[in-house]
Amino acid sequence: MKLWIGAAAMAAVLALGGGTRADGLADIKARGKLICGHTQASEPFGYPDATTRQFVGFDVDVCQALARGLGVGVELKAMSVEARIPELRTKRVDVLAAILGYSPERATQVDFSHQYYVSNQKIMVKSDSGLKTLKDLAGRKLAGSKGSSSVAMAIKLIPSANVLSFQDSPSAYLALLQDKIDAAMAGELILARFIRQAKEQNQGTLEMIAEPLFVEPQGIGVNKGEPALLAAVNQVLLEMDKSGELQTIFDRWVGKNSAYGFTRAYKVEPIPTN
Amino acid sequence: MTLDFAFLLAGPQAAQLAAGLATTFRLFAGAWLLAVAFAVALAVLRAAPLRPARWLVAAIVEYHRNVPLMVQVLIWYFGVPQMLPTALRIWVNHQDSEFLFALIALALNTGAFMSEDIRSGIRAIPPTQMEAARSLGLRFLPAMWLVILPQALRIAVPPMLNQTLMLFKNTSLAMAIAVGELTYRVREIESETYRTFEIFLLATVIYLTMSFTLMGLGAWFARRFPPLVRA
Repeated sequence: MKLWIGAAAMAAVLALGGGTRADGLADIKARGKLICGHTQASEPFGYPDATTRQFVGFDVDVCQALARGLGVGVELKAMSVEARIPELRTKRVDVLAAILGYSPERATQVDFSHQYYVSNQKIMVKSDSGLKTLKDLAGRKLAGSKGSSSVAMAIKLIPSANVLSFQDSPSAYLALLQDKIDAAMAGELILARFIRQAKEQNQGTLEMIAEPLFVEPQGIGVNKGEPALLAAVNQVLLEMDKSGELQTIFDRWVGKNSAYGFTRAYKVEPIPTN
Repeated sequence: MTLDFAFLLAGPQAAQLAAGLATTFRLFAGAWLLAVAFAVALAVLRAAPLRPARWLVAAIVEYHRNVPLMVQVLIWYFGVPQMLPTALRIWVNHQDSEFLFALIALALNTGAFMSEDIRSGIRAIPPTQMEAARSLGLRFLPAMWLVILPQALRIAVPPMLNQTLMLFKNTSLAMAIAVGELTYRVREIESETYRTFEIFLLATVIYLTMSFTLMGLGAWFARRFPPLVRA
């Protein structure tokens, strides 16, 4: 009995906490400041720079560009992957630029802006494993990091595989090196870093399966019921694409001026909803 | 913000939760049984008139009390198999090694803590009882098993219930090495649906219900088997 009263009280606190109705865009303009959430340990999107201890990354730059585009200052908030959605829904941040991968299910909880990054989720195996295509992974043991969309997609796309998720991607990488699993899954940026690291430290030759597991568009996260803010964010993103600002950010963090050397094959546009 | 639990029934989430709950229970029950056996063995060894055995037990207990449990779990999963011969290591990796190593780590940790509870139970029994038992011709182990332990264990029930509750909650650390227990499934559902508040509220209620059940069982056991001596 006591338990249910406790649960009801908690529910009430939650309901009150998020219940205030206001126009987010007007609030931001009145405040003169955009509060923008980014991740704190996801290189190269949001992570502390080793020398300055300041948070830097693709998403941090996008936060700043968004604020400039809206004509306001910026307050950056670093947060863990798990805290992103609660921080947004309790309105402690206005928007999230926090490697938010789109899925129809997630879109019922937060609104996604146009895509500003598209990540290829790939699979990494040992080069001598003989695993070359996604089909070869049937019945194998795969792992990714907790909370990542690759784990959820792998369960759907390779139903016969035994799919695990570890605390973080380095744990999955270590498990692959130790032959505990047959393949590790993550965004291709992270995998490229692991492959380089394994080579540098002579821990084995790893490679990615060329065919991506799936392609994941990332958008800015905006609370439901904020059409004005969502439209303003989309407008700024489109302008960033046109002015070349997005290209500069892309080149700096994942493109030709970075260790990854990727080329951009997407543009800012509405995320296809199917 | 409104909380809406209907999504649980629409998708595969209810089955995910049930699977997580079943794994949590297997992990908890298995680790508890092993822990109690390990604790009794440690406590008896520590009371034995053998100095090296006492030092060994003290070292084991201090390791498990002073190293974070999360680190112990990671050492068992990532460290220990690397010391095995290659053939054995590959065999172990192809078993359900995540569950197995989580079980071992949890059992040893809880066992070490419980052994201290049983030790204080043993110390609460007047030493003259041991002397009397030995003078009747019982060897050390039978005297322990027949005379001291039945009384000491009853005294140790309340602190051991504490450790039992800790163990139950600590099973959630197994998710770090990808054991699909309750918290693991909750985080999985959270990541798939972004329904953070609903799913964590539900998890809280489930953990509380299970903990209260354990406390009730412990209270019943303490009434049914009260301590025989007042220290």
